[in-house]
Amino acid sequence: MGSIVLEQVTKSFGETQVIPPLDLTIEDGEFAVFVGPSGCGKSTLLRLIAGLEDTTSGRVLIDGADMTEVSPSKRGLSMVFQTYALYPHMTVRKNIAFPMRMAGMSEAEQEKRIMAAAESLNLTDYLDRKPGQLSGGQRQRVAIGRAIVRDPSAFLFDEPLSNLDAALRVGMRIEITEMHARMKTTMIYVTHDQVEAMTMADKIVVLQAGVIEQVGSPLDLYHTPRNLFVAGFIGSPKMNFIEGPEADQRGATTVGIRPEHIDVVEGPGEGIWSGTVGVAEHLGSDTFFHIHETGLAETMTVRAVGNVALRHGDAIHLRPREAEMHRFDAEGLRMS
Amino acid sequence: MSNRRLPRLLQTPAVILLLIWMLVPLSMTLYFSFIRYVLNSLSRPEWTSPSLSNWRGFGNYNFVLNNKDFLLAIQNSLVIVCSILFLTVIFGILIAVLINKAFPGRGIVRVLLISPFFVMPAVNAVLWINMILDPVLGLQGIAVESINDVIDGLRTAPVVGGFFNLWPQIEPISFRATQTSAIAVIIMVTWQWTPFAVLIFMTSLQSEDQQQKEAAILDGASTWSMFRFLTLPHLGRPIAIVVMIQAIFHLSLYAEIEIVSRGNGNKNLPYLIGEFANNNIGAASATGIFAVILANIVAIFLLRMVGKTLME
Repeated sequence: MGSIVLEQVTKSFGETQVIPPLDLTIEDGEFAVFVGPSGCGKSTLLRLIAGLEDTTSGRVLIDGADMTEVSPSKRGLSMVFQTYALYPHMTVRKNIAFPMRMAGMSEAEQEKRIMAAAESLNLTDYLDRKPGQLSGGQRQRVAIGRAIVRDPSAFLFDEPLSNLDAALRVGMRIEITEMHARMKTTMIYVTHDQVEAMTMADKIVVLQAGVIEQVGSPLDLYHTPRNLFVAGFIGSPKMNFIEGPEADQRGATTVGIRPEHIDVVEGPGEGIWSGTVGVAEHLGSDTFFHIHETGLAETMTVRAVGNVALRHGDAIHLRPREAEMHRFDAEGLRMS
Repeated sequence: MSNRRLPRLLQTPAVILLLIWMLVPLSMTLYFSFIRYVLNSLSRPEWTSPSLSNWRGFGNYNFVLNNKDFLLAIQNSLVIVCSILFLTVIFGILIAVLINKAFPGRGIVRVLLISPFFVMPAVNAVLWINMILDPVLGLQGIAVESINDVIDGLRTAPVVGGFFNLWPQIEPISFRATQTSAIAVIIMVTWQWTPFAVLIFMTSLQSEDQQQKEAAILDGASTWSMFRFLTLPHLGRPIAIVVMIQAIFHLSLYAEIEIVSRGNGNKNLPYLIGEFANNNIGAASATGIFAVILANIVAIFLLRMVGKTLME
């Protein structure tokens, strides 16, 4: 069990308020991802929940109980850190055993849990090694193992994959998602990588400057971003924003359209945009065109499925899918 | 491999110089330790210049071994070095942990803490033995006298007077005495060298990983557990370094011993060498060889210890 509720939580460092009053509910068993650009307060928010930072005002409820003043170790939460934060002088076994040892658990029970954790994380062969002898991915698994054995009501992950190389990151992403599916424990995961957010989350919390911009499922955010920030942050490559006559024509200040919702067509015509191909990224499965001189925006990005034989400097003609167009008003808010 | 010949050739002079630096004094000491060689002798003037015709074999070694001060000197060398090492490491860790937290005036406190290290050893000894430890004029004498005065005053007080009448007069300790002069040396050298340990441990504490500590907090570790399981292992290497360097320095303590008691009841090996060297160079050299052996035994122990912490 582990629902987490934040009520009017604020955080100030001296005079600067980094988190203005904020309300958030994370249901039991949910995989919630805090995502936002660096410095948006997502890590601070996680540390407030963990108790590593004190809230300036407001309440943190875990399983309905007020935990605002409770010490971090009594909140029943486990945290996995970006730098793994393993104890370098202890073997993997002792690292994983440490929280249980601090809790005064019996040796037999400790051993049982260590073996179970090692089994599920493929660490059985490394139990007697020191962290220094492990690769980055293995260290991250040890950190997760140390979090699991405490049997927490929720897991907190603070950018756990950002020190890993790209291939390993994809692998660990899947492992953590599967772990969640298996354990069904609440997880809060902080990342600046919107791909991680989209692929792992049940619920994404998009933050900017300490303010929650939108909360919703990955596809909610993708299909109905609440404002320009979320529209631009979620989705890769970034959504194209167009202002001026094209927007006015649709009764909005800004219209946005995702690269994958623009089709490359033959020849110019009514409702068709034309431009010059800049960089063309041929990935095989897809081609991304960076298009200049459309008269709409400085650069437009377009995704074409498969390999389209257009090169740098070629003329290109595009037809946007009107139904997929997002309209935003002068404040940057979505117009339904 | 010919491309490595030139660098080696260029290194040679330095290596040779270092070898001479080390080997010449050592072999001269060895040579003198096997001959009769004194600075002054009216009856045997032929002993006053070193010569192989004065060969004595292990006679000098025998003479030193049978000297009544030799065992005392070895024992004292070890006691003094070990006590100082133990105390400086303990105090060093405690002070370093204490000033590792941010507080106003931390910079000044740190400078003040380091300052004893810049006092010259002889000055350090003179100040301690005359101004602090002296049983009459030093701080110790004044403190003991004042406490006795206070107790004397309380003897006549109503109610509690009877209780204080049971107290004896406190006697100040004379640190120049046979039994206590080694303690005086240990106190003053510990005072002087604790800053060195603090400095090394402080730097090391600053490189301690903060996320590890946060992880430990979440894991439910108490402040003591964090110190025991994170900070102490983290300090393992610097402790080894402090012990190693200090052992080298304190095996050759001389000034403090000379100033505190002129070796009265408190000789270490260097001091014994100094005494012999007043006239009997042969015996002094033999003692020197014993000192080299002792230093090597200590070094082997310490290297083992350092090696062990480095392996972990």
